Amino acid sequence: MTTDHDQHDEIQVGHVVPIKFLTAICCLLLFLTAVTVWVSRYDFTQINIAEMGIIMALFVATVKATIVGLYFMHLRWDRPFIGFVFVGSMLFVVLFIGVALTDSMEYQPQIIKGDTPVVTEAMEKLKDAH
Amino acid sequence: MIDSIINILTTVTPPVDNGTFWLPRAASTVAEEVDFTFDLINWICYFFFAAIVLSMVWFCIKYRRKSPNMVCEGPTHNTALEVTWTVIPLLLVAVIFTVGMKGYLNLRESPEGCYEVQVTGQKWSWTFSHPEFGATQVAELTVPVGKPVRLLMTSNDVLHSLWIPDFRVKMDVVPGRYTSLWFEATKVGDYQLKCTEYCGKDHSKMFAMVHVIPADEFDAVMTKLASEYEDMSVGQLPAYAINRLYNRCVSCHSLDGTTGTGPSFRGLWDRVSSGQVGFSSGETLSSLLGDATLYGEPENYVRESLLFPQKHIVKGYLGSMPSFQGQLKEKQILAIIEMFKHLDEITDEEGNITVNLDGTPTE
Amino acid sequence: MKTIYAKNSPTDNYLNHTKGIKSWIFTLDHKRIGIMYLICILFAFFLGGSFAMLIRFHLLTPEGAILTQDQYNQAFTLHGAIMVFLVIIPAVPAALGNFVLPIMLGAKDVAFPRLNLFSWWLWVFGLVFFLISLGTGGVDTGWTFYTPYSIDKASSMGGVIPVLIGAFVLGFSSIFTGMNFIVTIHRLRPVGMTWFRMPLFLWATYATAIIQVLATPVIGITLLLLIVERSFGIGIFDPALGGDPVLYQHFFWFYSHPAVYIMILPAMGIVSELIAVHSHRHIFGYKFIAYSSIAIAMFGFLVWGHHMFTSGQSQLVNIIFSFITFSVSIPSAIKVFNWLATLYKGSISLNTPMLYGLSFIFIFGIGGLTGIHCATLNTDIHLHDSYFIVAHFHYVMMGSALIGFIGGIHHWWPKMTGKMYNEAWGRFACILVFVGFNLTFFTQFMLGSRGMPRRYATYDPEFQTYHIVSTIGSTILAIGFFITAIYLIHSIFKGKKAPTNPWGGRSLEWQCASPPPWDNFAEQPEVGDCYDFSVLEWNEEEQGYDWRKDVAHPGE
Repeated sequence: MTTDHDQHDEIQVGHVVPIKFLTAICCLLLFLTAVTVWVSRYDFTQINIAEMGIIMALFVATVKATIVGLYFMHLRWDRPFIGFVFVGSMLFVVLFIGVALTDSMEYQPQIIKGDTPVVTEAMEKLKDAH
Repeated sequence: MIDSIINILTTVTPPVDNGTFWLPRAASTVAEEVDFTFDLINWICYFFFAAIVLSMVWFCIKYRRKSPNMVCEGPTHNTALEVTWTVIPLLLVAVIFTVGMKGYLNLRESPEGCYEVQVTGQKWSWTFSHPEFGATQVAELTVPVGKPVRLLMTSNDVLHSLWIPDFRVKMDVVPGRYTSLWFEATKVGDYQLKCTEYCGKDHSKMFAMVHVIPADEFDAVMTKLASEYEDMSVGQLPAYAINRLYNRCVSCHSLDGTTGTGPSFRGLWDRVSSGQVGFSSGETLSSLLGDATLYGEPENYVRESLLFPQKHIVKGYLGSMPSFQGQLKEKQILAIIEMFKHLDEITDEEGNITVNLDGTPTE
Repeated sequence: MKTIYAKNSPTDNYLNHTKGIKSWIFTLDHKRIGIMYLICILFAFFLGGSFAMLIRFHLLTPEGAILTQDQYNQAFTLHGAIMVFLVIIPAVPAALGNFVLPIMLGAKDVAFPRLNLFSWWLWVFGLVFFLISLGTGGVDTGWTFYTPYSIDKASSMGGVIPVLIGAFVLGFSSIFTGMNFIVTIHRLRPVGMTWFRMPLFLWATYATAIIQVLATPVIGITLLLLIVERSFGIGIFDPALGGDPVLYQHFFWFYSHPAVYIMILPAMGIVSELIAVHSHRHIFGYKFIAYSSIAIAMFGFLVWGHHMFTSGQSQLVNIIFSFITFSVSIPSAIKVFNWLATLYKGSISLNTPMLYGLSFIFIFGIGGLTGIHCATLNTDIHLHDSYFIVAHFHYVMMGSALIGFIGGIHHWWPKMTGKMYNEAWGRFACILVFVGFNLTFFTQFMLGSRGMPRRYATYDPEFQTYHIVSTIGSTILAIGFFITAIYLIHSIFKGKKAPTNPWGGRSLEWQCASPPPWDNFAEQPEVGDCYDFSVLEWNEEEQGYDWRKDVAHPGE
């Protein structure tokens, strides 16, 4: 266990993050969640970048993940090696998603176009409901 | 039921050659290439396996422990040896990979001017449609010899996989998507086509027969097939249905009275026309037949069972019948109805088919 | 002079230190947890094996001899799911690893003993869910649960969700064991036990633990998604709702391929120990074997698509996966050559553990080499989903991983139970298992390449001879396993007392008593070269090995 700050002499305790600090981080994350929700509803066509919604949402998600990793997962105060392990596992995520996406994009031309009967039926029901 | 299946599979002469120890006969252009690759790998494997096992046995004999206190002075590492037995296998697998990749690209890239067939797999049968001729075959695929054929495939329900072992071609059949494979048959004859991705109860019975016929006969055969039933009179339809359409039904519906995944066809028309069919909803068919009812005539009920089988599920069955909407022309539906009506005349008690397509009795 | 080898205490070892069922099922002792795992896994093995015998007897005739099609489909599904999730994935790490690893390392226990106990309980819950599925309608989807068949409630049976939950729970059992081992090896090594002084079994277990932690969460998510898809129809894998069935296969195999390395790597680690100890010869190429374990673990993550060559996966991706698959075969080959070189100029004792180790090399030779047929793109198009694949994976999963496991059981049996089993019966049963195994599965290679697909309840009459031979082989195999079970159980009650070091091993577990005391070592053990056997001598009275009186101990 890492013992960067020995608070007490008798009891070996790891670095303790103050509750107030963690609550502040939590509030920050909730704020960023609100930002994401706002972004999903805002009409970005005025700026002529239709994908802006997705770009912003992904950016905010990355920021949130980094904050969670650094503070909630204690990486900010740990040895760099632990951070490398975390980043390393992210590389495996990238590997998996990357290959699956590449494959999916390659066989897109062979997907049968149009809605399936189940989807069509569901859409009709929705239309009727309105 | 089993006899009917064997009937279908062996209505032509059995294969002339039976292949080698490892592989069945090679009946397509790619088969020869695949076999060469397979043999290449085999011989490399025989060599290495023999080397490993013989050296293992030899060491065990020569260095057998003679007393519990034997002290061994053998080497503990040898980098040159390690490098050698890393590099040599690496080179060998590089060669095998390249041969395999080249063969694979050939297998997947269909050549120009392929004859195209559209394939639909569904639980548990294959339908082959020839758009060029407007003909449809079920559980049978007729192709010309010496010409490349491309199968464009999709599934109606779950994953299946189309495998023709003698041609060495295989491709999964995926719902919602097209997949394709191509082959060029080199010998006239009949070859089995099997489903090879588990798809449920009758997965092991999902067969088709590939008939490879001489190229000059192909056009004539296909044109005849396309309009086979077009010019038939109503009286000829039962023979047509039992020989051409029944193989679609055989995996679930017997002809001899045995209950399968679906009710037997034997005695079906009697039950249907008198309304003696009970449904899982509690209703009986008799309440749906007659004037001012849902079906009116029993023929309409049969028609609806083919196109919308989930509407009324017969009591005691799971309701797993797929829909044949879009796959049967109106005249073919009529043929099936006629087949039910005249089933006793075209089959016998054990469920064997007793007439040929042209109405002549089978021997 | 200090005594290296503790004397066996008949009155106080981990088996009788405390009594009562609660002291076992709530124990924190890694040895007891290992024994409980061993008993449970062997029980699950016999359960899965019963399904296998049902399958083999059913396939005696082309029309199927004893089961209906539905029953056959359930039989092969349950056989696969039980064997993969309940038996072979946990077998070596959880049963043998738990017992041996801390002692071999020189530690008193694993890093997280409570987590260890929790892992065992999760395994038991997993088993319970599997048994529940038998009562809620059964499963017939195949152990791979391919979509859309496994999503379609109308076609597949009602027991699918309990099995998925069970597999999910078992995944966590695996993850926690892996985490435990990684931390133990990193943090609890005693003074003197550097990385390169660790026995190769520990290197193998370490590599396995990395895979367990990194890959298993993916199957967890996959199974969860499948449960949600089946229950709520979210449309991720179901094409009727716009989903992609091939995506499921990517998800599934991203774990399940590294999973096969979870199965084989620890078994290879055991084989390294068996070969070295029973030929009293320093392992050849220690560093190469150690590094190849890590290499296999890493490369194993890059090759999952080779299970999907005919699935509709794109050509580009197929070629990439085939290429990398060949490269992952090289480290395995390196290990086999190193083992053979270890036999060279050794002092080879053909006792039961060694016979299992040699069987491993023979069978893994075939299994690994037939992997080449499967990795080559154009031959795999023909062989995929046929009995050739069935034969290939049984050769590597059963003939190699399981045989390694059984060899390890025999090797550490004196240590675990303090008793010696009957050597003659041991050798005889090993030969039966070897012959039976090869008869059962070698014929299946021909079955597959000649055109029989897998998961078929009925088949063409031309294949019947192969099936009959295969069933005869499986009967011999089953008899071999039964004999093994009988003499092992017999040895617990009537076996000769085992000395501390019956085989003459140098790793630390052979320095503590047989069976070990509650806290493993009376004094901190001293670490030397664990493959240097020249310092041992045979003690006729004890029928075991002792430190030579004229050789200094490592610490002196």
